[in-house]
Amino acid sequence: MQKRLLLRSRFSNRYGFLFVSLCLAVFAPTLTKSSLATDLGRDANVFINNETLIATSQEKVVKLYGAGGARGLESYQSGVIIDNVGHIVTSWSTVLDVAKIRVVTFDGRRLDATMVGMDPQNELAVLKVEDGGLVGFDLSRAAPGATGQRVFAISNLFGIAAGNESCSAQKGVIMASTPLTARRGKTKSLYQGRVYVLDAMTNNPGASGGALIDLQGRLVGILGKEIRDEQAGIWLNYALPMDVVKSSVDRILSGNTSVQTAGLKAVAQPHRISDLGITLIPDVLSKTPPFIDQVREDSVAQRAGMQTNDLILLLNDQRADSRKSLEKMLATINRADSFYVLVQRGQELIRIHVRP
Amino acid sequence: MHVRSYRTNCCLIGVILLSISFCIETTNALAQDVVPSVEKAPMPNDTVLAAQQQRIEAMRRASSATVAVYGTDGQGGGSGVCVSPDGYVLTNFHVSSPFGHRMRCGLNDGRMYDAVVAGSDPTGDLAVLKMVGRSDFPVAKIGDSDTVRIGQWCFAAGNPFVLATNLQPTVTYGLISGVRRYQYPSGTILEYSDCIQTDAAINPGNSGGPLFNIRGELIGINGRCSFEKRGRVNVGVGYAISIKQAMNFFDQLKSGRVVDHATLGFTVTTENNGRVAVSNILESSDAYRRGIRYGDEILRLGDRDVTTTNQLKNILGIFPDQWRIPIRFRNETGIVETHIRLQSLHLASELEEIIKGESPQQKPQRKPGGKEPVPGDKEKLELPKQTKPVTKDAVDALFVEKRGYSNYYFNRFELDRILGLQAAHGSWTGSADAWKINGEIPGENIAVEMLLSDENLTMRLGDKTETVHPLKGWPKWIKQRSSIGALMGMRVWQQWNRIGPKLMGEAVYLGRNPIVGRNGLYDATRITVSDFDVLVYTSPDTGLIEVIEVFSDRQSDPVELFFEKYETVDGRVTPKTIRLAYGLESQFIVSINQLTRNETPVGTGL
Repeated sequence: MQKRLLLRSRFSNRYGFLFVSLCLAVFAPTLTKSSLATDLGRDANVFINNETLIATSQEKVVKLYGAGGARGLESYQSGVIIDNVGHIVTSWSTVLDVAKIRVVTFDGRRLDATMVGMDPQNELAVLKVEDGGLVGFDLSRAAPGATGQRVFAISNLFGIAAGNESCSAQKGVIMASTPLTARRGKTKSLYQGRVYVLDAMTNNPGASGGALIDLQGRLVGILGKEIRDEQAGIWLNYALPMDVVKSSVDRILSGNTSVQTAGLKAVAQPHRISDLGITLIPDVLSKTPPFIDQVREDSVAQRAGMQTNDLILLLNDQRADSRKSLEKMLATINRADSFYVLVQRGQELIRIHVRP
Repeated sequence: MHVRSYRTNCCLIGVILLSISFCIETTNALAQDVVPSVEKAPMPNDTVLAAQQQRIEAMRRASSATVAVYGTDGQGGGSGVCVSPDGYVLTNFHVSSPFGHRMRCGLNDGRMYDAVVAGSDPTGDLAVLKMVGRSDFPVAKIGDSDTVRIGQWCFAAGNPFVLATNLQPTVTYGLISGVRRYQYPSGTILEYSDCIQTDAAINPGNSGGPLFNIRGELIGINGRCSFEKRGRVNVGVGYAISIKQAMNFFDQLKSGRVVDHATLGFTVTTENNGRVAVSNILESSDAYRRGIRYGDEILRLGDRDVTTTNQLKNILGIFPDQWRIPIRFRNETGIVETHIRLQSLHLASELEEIIKGESPQQKPQRKPGGKEPVPGDKEKLELPKQTKPVTKDAVDALFVEKRGYSNYYFNRFELDRILGLQAAHGSWTGSADAWKINGEIPGENIAVEMLLSDENLTMRLGDKTETVHPLKGWPKWIKQRSSIGALMGMRVWQQWNRIGPKLMGEAVYLGRNPIVGRNGLYDATRITVSDFDVLVYTSPDTGLIEVIEVFSDRQSDPVELFFEKYETVDGRVTPKTIRLAYGLESQFIVSINQLTRNETPVGTGL
């Protein structure tokens, strides 16, 4: 019975992905102009009241809209602008499974973003908006959080704000700085690293990717995805510390885990998906996620340890964001060479060495 | 074991640090790297202690006006806030509706007071109750919700989970998370427009209770939370109806009516270029008569600019129907500023259905999930003994059931209040029905004569004479925007003073409405005569009639007769200057020289 349930949940996971990708919810908030405020938090000695502090920080938090809107999966989340050239950090989630992610800024401007890359370990992604004139947090000023520290969370939880309406602000205290691995088995999360546990109800639908700031307006963390204790039914409120976020951002911006299929050179005798012995789910979307539908008995893939329902995330540390890009990337690897894939299996990330 | 010690540790540190950081939150002067040490708690400085003392004082004052609302049997429970010394309480409609007309209200003096419902606003989820037994109830200071900003501190007080068994309200502290939020209604009721979002814990039982700013001034009425999949407890998102909206409706609710919200008579869409443009308009609407057409851009409504559809809905939601509010729009010729009269959102029969559906016997179970009102727990409560028992009869005397009313008693009560105010201006009662009014249109040397009697009404304007029946056939003239409208207005004035509104037709006290061109709000009474409606605006201070409007139908502008100036003649306050207008356009002003009753001159003479 349990096995059957498990199978069903995997099945629905696989096709749920497809389903939500098909249901694109594109919102139509309004356009307005507003002046950019200066970074008031720059001088730590300046007295800043909460209103100004939060208002200034809110201009660096964006509302994101993408895939979803069905089966209890939201089609919206939050994001944080991290520089002045249009980079946005957010949670890596199904919301981002669209070619163009809709970004709505504090002043109601609607911009399109593309995914620069993602870091599956930290469940973070970096998006890029072209020519938006966006002003973001200064990551070099990002501060470590301390247990007991008062913080504010800014996010578009529950999708309350639309257009030029302000994201929601909440108060909180960092209760603990602790690894999520301590909760492994109880809570389903890919991310197993250190988090700030918060005493505030910050982690609601749509809040992930939002900003956690200190009383000087410095970025302290990024709100994580919703995690629920399966036994107690309690939702965990937490944020990823900035050192974790920065490491992901650095890795993504340095080109690792990025989506780069354009410049790759195909080789004469490459690997082919069918030769490896795997069947992927049908390619019906512009970005069909590369889920493994079947693994042939005694094939290269089976010997390497790949399984039905695995989602291929990385190929030789390059992001395979769709079936098409996976095929293109495979075409650049000589049939005689081995390679690595990173797959997501349930709530685990597994690195697999595929030897021909 | 490992897990437990982790938790205990966490708790311990959390508690210590929470108490420290709690002291810090109002004084951001300490906003530099707050990394408190666990071993040695820092001594708070004087600023911190002073801020704490202020907060304690604000919460003490606020708590005294916070009301715990229960059914007469102690069942259920919600919250409310007392806003007048004679015991009027603001609460949610969804709190009062399950209790019927009677309930019991607890204050933090430990006493329970009997209370009756006055008015209900199912659309805006508000109700007004009246507590009985004192004339010096502690009241909350009304704040200005327009100045509330994200990031300000606030606190909610109330009766969450019906915890207040000793009638001491629970105070929860939090941050203003959002302002001017729009929360969609469920159907056409319980719409939260222009509301305040807070992360101060709002739980079942907090409904109807007050939200205060840090100075302890009332800024909202808590009533709603976002729940979705999280179950029916606080998840950091609570909504409060702004006190501005609540006070706009307060006098309407004191009327004992089931009050209604408004529509503009047109809808808008936000176009891609950001214009908020009229997408549909009723030709019978006041907006249409004021010149608004399909495609016009709406720039401002009330006292706020409009840049999105949500903003327009937000602004509209805080006004009662029949109010006339300023609007600014742009058409091909340029920018136009005018006022429009808001139409009712519901038909009277629709409101009756809603009230019936929410009554104690027929209240449907709401579907779980989504954004919902937060009614109290259903636990039975041991209520403290009442110190001043009020007999059932004394409280029941404050309730009169009537179709379309929440409690008809209060409508009579308010109308009697207005008539009581008028008594100071000399009595016209018993005076003869035949009046002659002589005057002139100043500056134009045109004589005006009006004859008002039960047989007919006659007006002579220059060399033109018109006659109309004293009760019937008025709509025809109103549709033509006839100058005879002044005669009708004067007849209403005469009859209001001679026989009183209750004998003129069906008189209903509406609440307080604004008058275009004047400050403040005025008591508004609607009288339904044979084939027309009359709206009489009286001063809340003096009871004198300020404006009389006579309506023919929805398609035409009503007669508007402004009483600009009064003078005391023979001990009676008598109109001296009147002005006739149709749809904001003045037709003429009459300067009254003499008012003769039954051939006995009472004017000053020529």
